Amino acid sequence: MDAAQVFSTFPLTGDFLAGRLRDQFAVEELHILEGMMAGPRCLADGERLIARGQTAVQATILIDGFMIDRIIRDGKRFIVGLHVPGDFVDLHGFALKHLDHDIVAAGPVRIAQVGRDRLREVTQARPAMARALWFATLLDAAINRQWIRNLEALDAPQRIAHLYAELHHRLTLIGRNATRTLRTPFTQTDLADMCGVSAIHANRAVARLRELGLGEIRRGDLYIADWAALERYAGFDPAYLYGAAAPSR
Amino acid sequence: MIDQAAETVRFPDTGRFLMGRLRDAMTEDEKIQFESMIERTEWIERPTRLIASGSVCRHSTMLIEGFMLRTLDGDGKRHAVSFHVPGDFVDLHCYALKRLDHNIDTVGRVKVGYVPHAALDGVMRDQPHLARLFWFSTLLDAAMHREWIMALERLTTPRRIAHIFAEVWRRLGMVGLQEATGFATPLTQSDLSEMCGASAIHTNRAIRDLRASGIADFDRGRVTVPDRAALEHYAGFTPDYLYGPWALAYDRQPGDPI
Repeated sequence: MDAAQVFSTFPLTGDFLAGRLRDQFAVEELHILEGMMAGPRCLADGERLIARGQTAVQATILIDGFMIDRIIRDGKRFIVGLHVPGDFVDLHGFALKHLDHDIVAAGPVRIAQVGRDRLREVTQARPAMARALWFATLLDAAINRQWIRNLEALDAPQRIAHLYAELHHRLTLIGRNATRTLRTPFTQTDLADMCGVSAIHANRAVARLRELGLGEIRRGDLYIADWAALERYAGFDPAYLYGAAAPSR
Repeated sequence: MIDQAAETVRFPDTGRFLMGRLRDAMTEDEKIQFESMIERTEWIERPTRLIASGSVCRHSTMLIEGFMLRTLDGDGKRHAVSFHVPGDFVDLHCYALKRLDHNIDTVGRVKVGYVPHAALDGVMRDQPHLARLFWFSTLLDAAMHREWIMALERLTTPRRIAHIFAEVWRRLGMVGLQEATGFATPLTQSDLSEMCGASAIHTNRAIRDLRASGIADFDRGRVTVPDRAALEHYAGFTPDYLYGPWALAYDRQPGDPI
């Protein structure tokens, strides 16, 4: 199935695990997944899907746009995760019941949702789907681990470079690869909050990437000629994203 | 309420699993079955890389006694991204992911139990409730990862170390290993520096600061804390993200039994 066919047949869930386990699904299961979701529905930039501590009565797939995992602590905002289309953004809430973070739209987004009870029925009847959804949540955990490592090991310009390299790779897995421009809705403050640095530091880090000729970030959009150079600079290895073609290290 | 001591006598290998969280949601049959899924146990005396990043596993590892770290390598260095206590089904991730994105390293002396993936296939097929509890347990790790991301984003080195101490102490308490004045740990200073992304010199200085300010004393395999509230306040630590009996706990309702 080519991309156009995928999206006419699976307009809500066509990106789910694309580039990863999607090819291993039975077609029937892809249809069950698509059929259980209600939507699409739009959220505006900055709109909150679910708050920390709120009971997760739905599970939500992101169809278009970006969302962030946010924790507010002592009046300050921290960004602890990032979502691209095809991600079940709040699926952790299905197993945990209450999330430890807020999930917020970064720019306008389109989503589709399934109720908790229906999701439980499906996972109960279809172990292969339960396992794929489990896999999807553990992919988030793998990305979290890489972010921890980045905060431990990288300086601010490298962290920003790594962030864009990751985004580029995640978008490529779902067939939305950017070649010379990666467009994002992120502000400099968003970048700062993802990298654990001040806005001034983030600014300087962006300037540093430009000086090094690795890329130019303007209003969240990255203009870039050489992805391989950016990946090398950031020490980026895509193995943790579990792409189907990724070699094991 | 679960009698924690009795639980570990009845289920010596898996009795601490989900203790302090959803253990009381496990049925007696599920507990018996999980215990029987441990095919083999072993003691590992020295710090060992139990599973290397990228390797494909046919079993998942339960931590029965002792401590472990999940680590990532990079630039010839090891970076620790999470810490594990007894009762953690540490390597359950490997079942759903097939190959791991990280290493599992033991710290000090540990006892582990191995669960063959074939047994987990059976749970997925026939026991959706137990399967959901397993799923839940892996997502506790993700919640801890998020808190660590935030800790690294906002805390200075001494506060990061205080946060680690606060977390480990709480987690030990949740699985029935509570002590009044702190906890014993085989963590080394170098482990700590890998957990908080600081140099050996910085870590050393931070540990001295914590001692001088009376927050925590890390010495010869023991962390001693005079005042838990002061430690947690200093570290900006709240235990909610551990999904124990606090704000984010899974409150089971009739009709929503997990």
